[in-house]
Amino acid sequence: MTGPLLELDGVRKHYPVHEGLILRRQVGAVRAVDGVSLSIAAGETLAVVGESGCGKSTLARLALRLIAPSAGTIRFDGRDVTHDGRAALKPLRRQMQVIFQDPFASLNPRMSVEEILAEPMLVHGLGDAASRAARVRELLDLVGLARYHADRFPHEFSGGQRQRIGIARALALKPRLIVCDEPVSALDVSIQAQVVNLLKDLQAEFGLAYLFISHGLAVVRHMADRVAVMYLGEVVETAPVGALYAAPRHPYTQALLAAAPVPDPARRPARPALGGDVPSPMKPPAGCRFHTRCIVAQARCREEAPALRTLGPGHAAACHFAETVPAFTRLGAGERHARLQARLALYERKRAAMTATTAA
Amino acid sequence: MSEAVALTPEATPHAGFAVAARPSILRVLMREPVSAVALVVVALLVLAALLAPWLAPADPYAGDLANTLKAPGDGALLGTDGQGRDMVTRLLFGLRTTLAMSGVAVVIGCGLGGLVGFAAAYYPRVSGLLMRLMDVLLSFPAILFGLALTAIVGPGLTAVLLALSIATVPLMARVVRGAALVVLQQDYIEAARALGMGDGRILTKYVLLNCLSPIFVFVTLRFGQVILLGSLLSFIGLGAQPPTAELGAMASDGRNFLFFAPHVSVLPSLLIFVTVLAFTMLGDGLRDALDPRLRR
Repeated sequence: MTGPLLELDGVRKHYPVHEGLILRRQVGAVRAVDGVSLSIAAGETLAVVGESGCGKSTLARLALRLIAPSAGTIRFDGRDVTHDGRAALKPLRRQMQVIFQDPFASLNPRMSVEEILAEPMLVHGLGDAASRAARVRELLDLVGLARYHADRFPHEFSGGQRQRIGIARALALKPRLIVCDEPVSALDVSIQAQVVNLLKDLQAEFGLAYLFISHGLAVVRHMADRVAVMYLGEVVETAPVGALYAAPRHPYTQALLAAAPVPDPARRPARPALGGDVPSPMKPPAGCRFHTRCIVAQARCREEAPALRTLGPGHAAACHFAETVPAFTRLGAGERHARLQARLALYERKRAAMTATTAA
Repeated sequence: MSEAVALTPEATPHAGFAVAARPSILRVLMREPVSAVALVVVALLVLAALLAPWLAPADPYAGDLANTLKAPGDGALLGTDGQGRDMVTRLLFGLRTTLAMSGVAVVIGCGLGGLVGFAAAYYPRVSGLLMRLMDVLLSFPAILFGLALTAIVGPGLTAVLLALSIATVPLMARVVRGAALVVLQQDYIEAARALGMGDGRILTKYVLLNCLSPIFVFVTLRFGQVILLGSLLSFIGLGAQPPTAELGAMASDGRNFLFFAPHVSVLPSLLIFVTVLAFTMLGDGLRDALDPRLRR
């Protein structure tokens, strides 16, 4: 493997908006994703973070080629799959799979767990009944479910267990890339820890690459190798996870990090948290898309759209003033705040407990 | 395996663990007295219609002009009609004709309507065209279809059958499209697409299976309505022609003797009433039984 596993190059997805019943004129377009370039290497986790409506989920569907981009190219393993039809994409489906946010909506309620897990193999015509049954048992073991769960139906499980079933289904075809669309946002914190650690273990075992869509900054910090921050359909900053959390350069990234709640009034950020709403993706602001909410915005930002500029190794931000933006001060001298610390400690404890049991 | 269980406290089996089987629809239905009665009545009616040739004490078409318009209990259990035919036999065969006619109309109408509904939900391109077409059909009352079709193919069961089928198509299409649209929004459809599944498999194994509840309820309720409409068309002379035993036609026959032999008209009307009521109650009961939020 030399090149990246998945590569998005200037990918756009515009949804046309029509008006009129008979003469359907196009009156505009929702620019859900507007010129995003990303790449994921094999075995790597790239997290995409951003507010609701910034195009994260559309990006996930584009990466999976469930929808076709309006412009740009998508390459998987060096092969251009941008314009492939359904038949041509079918082999690709074995290579990349998806895990959804809502574990209650992602499993067909009329199928037993065994049927759900055997379905991918049936669709791709793999194995016979016996080998599929064996693989189902193997998958259940992998995600920490019991074998007797195979005969049950999704409604008999808790949220965390359902998410495990979803992960097992994604693993069934032994993919190389899994797109995780907010995989833990719908779960309790303690269950989040279990699922996140399960994902990490599976990555270590099978060398999976993850495109990890999330708005949970603590989870991203724990999971990701690299992070891309999205705003209104564009990537505004990308950096290795350490650099992003320690020294965010884009005012939006800083605002996002500052918006994470701190349970201590004395340590509330000096800078005001982000005000206002995300502008409509139908009419994104001219110039820098963030200038309507940015605290350092100047006249230039209203006219000239900033390009992603490299600021350090693997670190790039799309801001005219990336070098001069005041340093991010909320966390003191690189110190993590208490809640985050507690959360990470919880993950680590669970992880340690798991490794201990596995070793035993 | 042991480690797997240790990982997930939620997955640990309880002591004396037993899976509570999902209560069957039938059992839930039988818990409600009204639906239970409705179900039993429907079952009895269908059975009686199916077994009519064996249950009936006499020939439904052999008149006996010496014994016309006998009151119930006077020789025959439910009396005789204007041509001296045994009423029990006539009612059994009438029920048979009515149920068969309605059944075929519901199957054809719901089959076509279902196809249209699924197509409209799954292929947004044709949705507008198909559903506007359904709206056009919906704007004509079933009676009007009956009149128009009798003008074309002549009065008889065929005309009624066609009219009822056509009147059912748009209603079913709407129900199915609505249900399918809800299901198509679910993540598991997207997951199926991400697996590379074809349209046919997604539609049958995912969409259809998850739309069964509303379809089931609609079909049962519609069956009752179709019986009523079919009897009505026969009553006004567009449907079954004499001497065919059909409940609506029989009720119509008896109108001439309404004052001195009311049973000839009243009995088939009562049977229509009971049948329609039973199907409607069953449909209501099914709707409640299939709604998981109402399950106890």
